[in-house]
Amino acid sequence: MTAPGGGALATRGGATVRRMKWSLELSLGNSSRSRGDRQSKDGDVMYPVGYSDKPVPDTSVQEADRNLVEKRCWDVALGPLKQIPMNLFIMYMSGNTISIFPIMMVCMMAWRPIQALMSMSATFKLLESSSQQWLQGLVYLIGNLLGSALAVYKCQSMGLLPTHSSDWLAFIEPPQRLEIMGGGMVM
Amino acid sequence: MAWLVVRLAISMSLLYTASAVFEDQVGKFDWRQQFIGKVRFALFDTHSQASKKLLLATDKNVFASLNSRTGDLFWRHVDKTGPEGHIDALLMYGQDAVVVVGNGRLLRSWETTVGGLKWETVLDTGSFQAAALVGVQDFVKYVAVLKKSAISLHDLSSGSEIWVENLPDSDSVQYQTIYSGGNGLVLVLGVVPNSHIVIVEYKIEDGEIMNKKSVEAAWMSSLESSCAVVSSGILLCVDQITQSLYTLPLQSAEQTEMRQIHLQTLDLEVVSGFRPVLTSTQPNPAQPPLSEFFLQLSPDHHILLQFKDGLIAPLRDFNPAYLAAFATSGERTVAAVMSPKNDTACSINLFSADTGRRHLDTTIIYHMDPNGGKPNRLYVHAFLKKDDSVGYRVMVQTEDLALTFLQQPGRVVWMREEALADVVTMEMVDLPFTGTQAELEGEFGKKADGLLPMVLKRLSSQFILLQAWLAHLWKLFYDARKPRSSVKNEVTIDVLSRDEFNLQKMMLMVTASGKLFGIDSKSGTILWKQYLENIQPNSVFKLIVQRTTAHFPHPPQCTLLIKNKDTGLGSLYVFNPIFGKKSQISVPALPRPILQTLLLPVIDQDYAKVLLLIDDQYKVTAFPSTKNVLQQLQDTASSIFFYLVDSSQGKLSGFRLRKDLSTELIWEVVIPTEVQKIVAVKGKRANEHVHSQGRVMGDRSVLYKYLNPNLLAVITESTDTHQERSFVGIILIDGVTGRIVHEAVQRKARGPVHFVHSENWVVYVYWNSKFRRNEFSVLELFEGAELYNSTVFSSLDRPHPPQVLQQSYIFPAPINTLEATLTEKGITSRHLLVGLPSGNILSLPKLFLDPRRPEMVSEQSREENLIPYAPEMPIREEWFINYNQTVSRVRGIYTAPSGLESTCLVVAYGLDIYQSRVFPSKQFDVLKDDYDYILISSVLFGLFFATMISKRLAEVKLLNRAWR
Repeated sequence: MTAPGGGALATRGGATVRRMKWSLELSLGNSSRSRGDRQSKDGDVMYPVGYSDKPVPDTSVQEADRNLVEKRCWDVALGPLKQIPMNLFIMYMSGNTISIFPIMMVCMMAWRPIQALMSMSATFKLLESSSQQWLQGLVYLIGNLLGSALAVYKCQSMGLLPTHSSDWLAFIEPPQRLEIMGGGMVM
Repeated sequence: MAWLVVRLAISMSLLYTASAVFEDQVGKFDWRQQFIGKVRFALFDTHSQASKKLLLATDKNVFASLNSRTGDLFWRHVDKTGPEGHIDALLMYGQDAVVVVGNGRLLRSWETTVGGLKWETVLDTGSFQAAALVGVQDFVKYVAVLKKSAISLHDLSSGSEIWVENLPDSDSVQYQTIYSGGNGLVLVLGVVPNSHIVIVEYKIEDGEIMNKKSVEAAWMSSLESSCAVVSSGILLCVDQITQSLYTLPLQSAEQTEMRQIHLQTLDLEVVSGFRPVLTSTQPNPAQPPLSEFFLQLSPDHHILLQFKDGLIAPLRDFNPAYLAAFATSGERTVAAVMSPKNDTACSINLFSADTGRRHLDTTIIYHMDPNGGKPNRLYVHAFLKKDDSVGYRVMVQTEDLALTFLQQPGRVVWMREEALADVVTMEMVDLPFTGTQAELEGEFGKKADGLLPMVLKRLSSQFILLQAWLAHLWKLFYDARKPRSSVKNEVTIDVLSRDEFNLQKMMLMVTASGKLFGIDSKSGTILWKQYLENIQPNSVFKLIVQRTTAHFPHPPQCTLLIKNKDTGLGSLYVFNPIFGKKSQISVPALPRPILQTLLLPVIDQDYAKVLLLIDDQYKVTAFPSTKNVLQQLQDTASSIFFYLVDSSQGKLSGFRLRKDLSTELIWEVVIPTEVQKIVAVKGKRANEHVHSQGRVMGDRSVLYKYLNPNLLAVITESTDTHQERSFVGIILIDGVTGRIVHEAVQRKARGPVHFVHSENWVVYVYWNSKFRRNEFSVLELFEGAELYNSTVFSSLDRPHPPQVLQQSYIFPAPINTLEATLTEKGITSRHLLVGLPSGNILSLPKLFLDPRRPEMVSEQSREENLIPYAPEMPIREEWFINYNQTVSRVRGIYTAPSGLESTCLVVAYGLDIYQSRVFPSKQFDVLKDDYDYILISSVLFGLFFATMISKRLAEVKLLNRAWR
């Protein structure tokens, strides 16, 4: 559906074809064709030649920004630790009875640190730009471990951990008997 | 987590301890059969033509009325057991049935239509001799009761005593019979053995002695067995030594000697050693008896004779004839005679009594059961047909206590197996798989012979299964088109197969009369029966299942040990429990008395468990005793122990098997018989499984149970029965080492003691004679917080004694029998089944019988779900598993596990048999009966379709959005 002429004629569909007979793209050549196609999809804005829609990054690093990054990274690293008082409060409020809500709480409390620990590498990537990357990672790890320890403690206090001998009672096999015995009253 | 599950399970079980059935469950999985016992008296209600009643009095002290068309019970009265309730005589006149009970203690009159008591009188003491209805001028108004030293006359309508008279010379004369011919006199006949007969005449109005005479009769020892009154007051006696008949007119003054008629003159002869029997009939008590009578000369020779003008004339000779009986309808009296036809059948014919002529077309063919006994009693019900001829029905009682009711021309109207009123022991055996299932099983049982034949075999058996399934579908389809009523679900041996959950089993019942029964546990249908002849009445039976149905193609095998109490000799009867057929296996000869048996878990090459029989020289006989078995026995001999308890010597002794099948005594405990005697001893049931090895405490530690499989509970009772000094003792003793594990004594208590020994506990019931009440006591044994050896149990290596806990409770009722429920894996909580004298069976949760029940409730005990101790044990009506289906005189309860862990099969037997299922922890592994399948499936399907539709809609919407 290209019309003959000096430039490539782009059409966007039958309906458009009906609306306008032709359109001209100013940029020439195969390399810019694809870009022109994309541009035409984004809107019917024609960019002047040589225009790039990607912003040019500002490469000059400023001291204030660096502080900001550090701060941001510490926020990420301290996040799990900050949640602990909150978790403690929830733990206290939910009590030790076994019912659906405390169980849900415990599950959430246990699941969140585990999830965080599993996505540790992603977090490290986040902290990449910080200078105290390793310290922050350690703090983050400790915070999560503390969180899961708290969950385990909660499970323990609720009696959900198989730490007693009674929890393994069902798995004890009846002992094998060595003697065969029988008899009774004299018939 | 396990702890959580246990906690949840306990709290659930607490919620649902009530185990009553719902109204719509009645009869769904339970049934009851009522029995009466061996018939001693049977009378047909003849006062109206349409009457269907048959009155029976039995040796089980039961007085009952049967529907003669169906054999069902109209009503039944069960009296006390033993001589107190013994029914001495049954007389019937019109609507009234008069019964003398308890060796002449009570005289009762029953209304026969509904079975209501009309009146009851207490008679004077004295042993009962005879009772008779007394009529005056064609009306029966009185009943006379003869005791050893007195005669009394009672009014028939009110029971009031008219008069009572002492008999003259009652210490030397044995008065035995009463005769009244309706002429205003009651005659009492007595005999001084081998000397003379005494006849005393009493006036009916006031009991005045009108006449008294004695007649010489030196040959006579007993009136009752050899004499009868015929015609108008002629005493007729028979004597086998002189081979003569003697006659005496009772009321003639001139004749002082009995007239002798030699049997030779009638061309008759009594078989030597047989006591001849005279049978006469008196159709109406207000009139003299008929002049015709039967004389039985040998076990199968009867003769009908007539007494006329002082002469005796034979009317008809019945040779051979097993049984003969008179019956009267209206004015006509007939005689029914049973004669052998061939080996398997008898023919019964009707003859007119006055001429001896045979009635035409009155033959009834009675087919004898090849597995049953010989007929020994004949009861005839004669009635007038519309054309004024006499019709009749007969009831035949056989040696094996089967009652068969027949009508012409030999149709069996109904049959009752009264032997089942006295079940001695029973077992339950799994049913076999169906033929197709067995085919598959057999495939794996056979030895492998190459890959290709195995594949082919597999394919062929799969094809057979497919065929069977298609046939089943076709049958379903075919039956669905028929009206529901015509589809009969008859249970026969051929269609018997194990159901999905193994809930249907074969009940093997051994009865005191020596008859074995195989009964389908689901419906109560008798599938086979086998009468073992020549069983002594007091024999001891022991039923052993040697091979179950699990070893296809080997048939299951049961062994019955029958021990004759008099000679002490035992015999073995080996049979297939499913089909009841006697097995062809050779049985070892047992020349010496057998003391005990021991079933070993050792199996021979045919998968039969080995049975050891211990004789009075403590030598052991193995059955089966193949080379393989003997080899295995030699290998394991050092670990086979047995114990014997001799109650008469108060001795418990333990033996160990030697390699040469002799034994050595290894321990002996003597309990002095002057102080106490051993009443009972029980080990644990061999098929019992204990799932949990301990109990969880409130602090979540474990208290381990002392599960000694060799532990025996021995119950003793004091010989001193004084209520202050009597006691009941219990000794827990290890059967291997003889070590006494625990001993307890209940002071001021006496038996009968009922007890159950299971898992790590013993529950026993006794009578507390101080407080005059029944008490339950429970003993529980624990090993402590640590197991000594968790892998093997050896009685020879138990250094620590167990901790013993005990608690007692008051039970507000006497009990007849006690048993515990049993399940497949032992996970389900246990209940005790208590048979009460009222006939109810109480399912009592073991939870209530727990020695750890605390007096003060603490946090820990609450955590453990222990009920605080209360001395009184409750009886709740909803715990009765048999609601109103009471079991009279319940004597034993048998429990068996089913394929479902929640379900335990229960059979209670006594006079009646009741079968049911109990669910001690509710049916946790089965959907409820009223489970709403429609709702659930419609919701499921609804959700499924809703998901499908919404998914499609969502797709469309997404697509549309993409197009926008």
